[in-house]
Amino acid sequence: MARVTLRNISKSYGQLEVIRDLSLDIEDGSFTVFVGPSGCGKSTLLRMIAGLEPITGGDLMIGGTRANDLDPVARGIAMVFQNYALYPHMTVEKNIAFSLKMAGYGRAEIARRVAEAAEVLQIGHLLGRRPANLSGGQRQRVAIGRAIVRDPAVFLFDEPLSNLDAELRVSMRSEIAQLHQRLTNTMIYVTHDQTEAMTMADRIVVLREGRIEQTGTPQELYEDPANAFVAGFIGSPRMNFLPARASGSALELPGGARLGCAGDGLPRELSLGIRPEAARPGREGGGLRLEMEVALVEYLGGTRYLHGHLADGTAMLIEARSAAGIRPGDRLPFTCPLEALRAFAPDGARLRSLSLLPAEPETA
Amino acid sequence: MPVTPPKWIIALVGAIGLLWIVPLIGVALTSLQTPEAIARGWWNLGNADFTLDAWTRVWTEYPIAASLWSSVKLTAIATVLTMLTAPAAAYAFHYLRFPLRRGTLILVINAFVLPQQVVIIPLFQLWRDMGLIGNVAAVIVPYVGLSYAWAVFLVKSFLEDFPKELIEAARIDGCGPVGTFFRIVLPNLVSPISACAILQFLWCWNSLLLPMLFLREDVPLTVMLARIAGQYDPNVNMQSAAAIVTAFVPLCVFILFQKQFAAGNQVSGGGKE
Ligand SMILES: Nc1ncnc2c1ncn2[C@@H]1O[C@H](COP(=O)(O)OP(=O)(O)OP(=O)(O)O)[C@@H](O)[C@H]1O
Ligand SMILES: [Mg+2]
Repeated sequence: MARVTLRNISKSYGQLEVIRDLSLDIEDGSFTVFVGPSGCGKSTLLRMIAGLEPITGGDLMIGGTRANDLDPVARGIAMVFQNYALYPHMTVEKNIAFSLKMAGYGRAEIARRVAEAAEVLQIGHLLGRRPANLSGGQRQRVAIGRAIVRDPAVFLFDEPLSNLDAELRVSMRSEIAQLHQRLTNTMIYVTHDQTEAMTMADRIVVLREGRIEQTGTPQELYEDPANAFVAGFIGSPRMNFLPARASGSALELPGGARLGCAGDGLPRELSLGIRPEAARPGREGGGLRLEMEVALVEYLGGTRYLHGHLADGTAMLIEARSAAGIRPGDRLPFTCPLEALRAFAPDGARLRSLSLLPAEPETA
Repeated sequence: MPVTPPKWIIALVGAIGLLWIVPLIGVALTSLQTPEAIARGWWNLGNADFTLDAWTRVWTEYPIAASLWSSVKLTAIATVLTMLTAPAAAYAFHYLRFPLRRGTLILVINAFVLPQQVVIIPLFQLWRDMGLIGNVAAVIVPYVGLSYAWAVFLVKSFLEDFPKELIEAARIDGCGPVGTFFRIVLPNLVSPISACAILQFLWCWNSLLLPMLFLREDVPLTVMLARIAGQYDPNVNMQSAAAIVTAFVPLCVFILFQKQFAAGNQVSGGGKE
């Protein structure tokens, strides 16, 4: 169990700086997920914590001691790799036992711990097999077993589920979450899949180009994104962004919709974010009224996604739970409550000073 | 996908194969005939009388058995040394960071383009000054040293495809670089190491120049064969017998291990590639 603190961490490969001056506090026993688009430096950051990649600048503290120059073992970490990285020439049992053997544990102790890990992960019947004779999900369990057997202070996962098929990914997701509840070690998990991040994390760290865009609980990030990047990245399907123009105390939106607005220092051009699930088909309900032309209906059983565009061509995707009978080509009015709208400046920063008001009654 | 080739290809390849075998048959028949019969041509089997005379004579008049033992000894030592040290060197060059790594690697690999003949004279002078002429080390050192050029290269190029995560996983598991080499890398290098071993075995076994110059007694079969051939007697039949003895061992080695030689070269950490 340990708290992990990153202080002004940076990483360069030659001239290329991939992590810049990054500071982060990871609570003891938390499940923290690093999420971000491909190439943003998630793996690099994790590998620096693991001790696989030298740290260019800053301090890494694990459990209160500076760990920059410690070996992975001395850091008390264990890591699960994306490609499992099981030793192909060893049986499952030997794979799991390897780190204990390296640490010089006795035979009986090793056997006891391996059996315990196998029990937790339900891989007892696989212990005699070679990795080549396992399914993807079984391999991943073995890889996790190899990590938990050492009872490390910090678990590191680098996209451990991305090689599994969709169904297995969902079940492994909840298994890892349960494992965390059971073991209560600090876990750091890297993924580019926001759904994984949302469902598993206590805290999400959104990264972009080697910087932290925002940290917070899944709910905080979803409801109160710090900028358009986080708003667009968290939540599925993606948030819609509508161009809006501020003139005086009014906001003009595509298709002639208007809203009142108040706030100082507003830019002329801004964008309004609407989550697909916040929009309500129909004319009932107050707030923002818009109309879209439906181009595609995605039926998902309990719900459906309506793809289309607004009058000015802005792409729009809304979720409709109870709007049967809508077909491509239809013009569909919908509303969105004002408190569900998020405003962003052209550079992506959240416009917190802006407050939206219902449209002023038309003055004829 | 196995496809049955057209018949004419089989016939053509068969014919070419037969052509290749003819000299072998010739050598075998020559070794079984008298010099007079050979003078008429080994293929004139009509009035040839077969005899094991050449085989017994070559065995008694020349120390073939000692040479065979000498060949086995030299080749085995050189092969084992290459099998052990070339992978270690390749591993160090590939995974460890040390000063002059690149420079040293280029130096080692460049021996590839260096013909053996170039090193022989300076090496001869060196061995003479060190009093090593006639010592097996005088041959084994260049055997192993010259093999590094291709052996290190071969194993290193295999390591290029070796999953980096396995090395990293071993590091996470608390295994040091030497332990990682012996416990993780070596067990997965069976096919390139066998390839090295086979090539090195064949090369050492067939090598003539180095042992001829650096050894006095205890010469290997190739040198003995050259000595037999150097006689002025009409002894083609004995030469043939000695040649068969010389060629027999590498042939067996190749046939026995050709599977490893052609084996697939993939190690996987278990992920979908
Ligand atoms: N050894 C290296 N040398 C140079 N640049 C590197 C090296 N490793 C990574 N990078 C660069 O660092 C950046 C971050 O890489 P990283 O692997 O951390 O991305 P990531 O967020 O894990 O992406 P993904 O989701 O695709 O795994 C990338 O731009 C990558 O090109
Ligand atoms: Mg990555």
